[in-house]
Amino acid sequence: MRHWFRSYLLLLRWSAIRLRYLLSLVLVVQIFLSVGIVLGFAFLLPQIDPATARYLATGAPTLGLITIGMVMAPQLVATAKTEGTFTYHQTLPVPRTAVVLSEVTTWLVVGAPGLLLGLLVAVLRFDLTLRVSWLAVPAAVLVALAATTVGLAIAYAAAPPVTNMVTQLIVFIALMFSPINFPADRLPEWLQTIHQVLPFQHMAQVVRDSLTAGPAGVPAAPYAVLAAWCALGFAATLHIMTRRD
Amino acid sequence: MLYIDNLTKVYRRGVRANDSISLAVAGGELLGLLGHNGAGKTTLLNQVVGLARPTGGTITLLGRDPVAEPAWARSVCSFQPQAHAPLTGVTVRQAIESIGRIRGGHRRAVRRRTTELLAALDIEQWADQPGERLSGGVRRLTAFCMAVVQPGRLVMLDEPTNDVDPARRRLLWAQVRELAAAGHGVVLVTHNIAEAERVIDTVVILDRGRVTATGPPAALAPDRQLRLEVSGTAAPTVPAWALRTRRAGDRLTITLAAEHAQLAVAWAASVTSHFSLNPVGLEEFYLTLTANPEANVDATLVP
Repeated sequence: MRHWFRSYLLLLRWSAIRLRYLLSLVLVVQIFLSVGIVLGFAFLLPQIDPATARYLATGAPTLGLITIGMVMAPQLVATAKTEGTFTYHQTLPVPRTAVVLSEVTTWLVVGAPGLLLGLLVAVLRFDLTLRVSWLAVPAAVLVALAATTVGLAIAYAAAPPVTNMVTQLIVFIALMFSPINFPADRLPEWLQTIHQVLPFQHMAQVVRDSLTAGPAGVPAAPYAVLAAWCALGFAATLHIMTRRD
Repeated sequence: MLYIDNLTKVYRRGVRANDSISLAVAGGELLGLLGHNGAGKTTLLNQVVGLARPTGGTITLLGRDPVAEPAWARSVCSFQPQAHAPLTGVTVRQAIESIGRIRGGHRRAVRRRTTELLAALDIEQWADQPGERLSGGVRRLTAFCMAVVQPGRLVMLDEPTNDVDPARRRLLWAQVRELAAAGHGVVLVTHNIAEAERVIDTVVILDRGRVTATGPPAALAPDRQLRLEVSGTAAPTVPAWALRTRRAGDRLTITLAAEHAQLAVAWAASVTSHFSLNPVGLEEFYLTLTANPEANVDATLVP
């Protein structure tokens, strides 16, 4: 256990040194993105009622976390694979779970500022009152975890060019065709059914509920779906990491 | 320390990368693994360190099975892969120290050893430069330091001298020799045969996945043979004492027995003013062996 924790901390430090410029850039982009969605979508809509504001304000940070975990993290892994960094790290005497978790941690840390700033801007822009429940932090962490583990699983499994294309597709689906910034009932029925299984709608819901609904009225089902996606992503990632040709 | 017995690796697409390879490395021994590109050298190392799984045969490392315990294998074996180490965004010193710590070294010991290695390889002037600004040779030397800053009982180096200048290659060979002197088993993959010949204890030559020769370099290099190189002349008739001849452009290379040295010099002087006579080394043996079609009868592709 001590070896695991030591490896984890040293790997975190190693990532921080290696990626400090890139990660600070990602952080800035992420802040722009979260804030941009709040302000940008407001231009799209002629008038914003409190319900719409609630969706936009909580959808923006959710999309930010999805972008971090399912686009930026996998693209960085794709680059690492192309450069040989990925294989190099596989030869180091560290537990593979420590490698995966240190990577996930890095992305959680990078994702946090954008999330908070996006929320702040939304509150100011829409004059919104949040009713933050104690579940807000666990919900955000769960969303970030699900996005990152699934994103890493894709990047580990697929060839780098495929990863880059798939992640573009994911952000397109999440942004345009997922009930994140708008209620699910606006979608055609078949798409609603698909979103029962996909993580996007549930990600939006746990963030929205935990920030606006107060302690009451938070259903458990979306948490369960997200936990399942987390487990799936983590298992797939670990399987690929420990697989030998 | 490392025993490999009958190791066979067939990749999923049917490529037989290793075919019944057996070899042993003792502590303090420096084993050189030679072979053409695609001969199966890297595949062999990857199986020891748990990146690839053998199809058949056994590997025993310090009395344990690295195939069953890949995590343990990585903890006792330092590996310098052929691919470039991740140096983008980090300085040479940061990279060596970080990996030394990750390999289990204590902060102060790692810092001291890093300073020593930088000095020993004469790369101190780049110590605080980020990796993306380094030349290929300095990157390779840095990767070497990352592998040996906190060396495991077994050290495996995959082409450590690529891109490195001749002066620093000598410094690197000295460091490799010191590892062996300190009791580490060292497996070295290299194409730099002429230089490796002087530092390695045992040579294993791989050809298309099979061991075609093994032994100390001095025992393998053909005894008392000389190589005469003649250039700047139109095709002369090959003399009777020539054992083998090879022609490349206007350069003729003749292998001969040592007792014919005087005849050879007289003959060469009569046909050209540009010639040289040298003892045949391991490289010559290697080239002869790998060019010999008899050694290549085994197909590399499995139906």
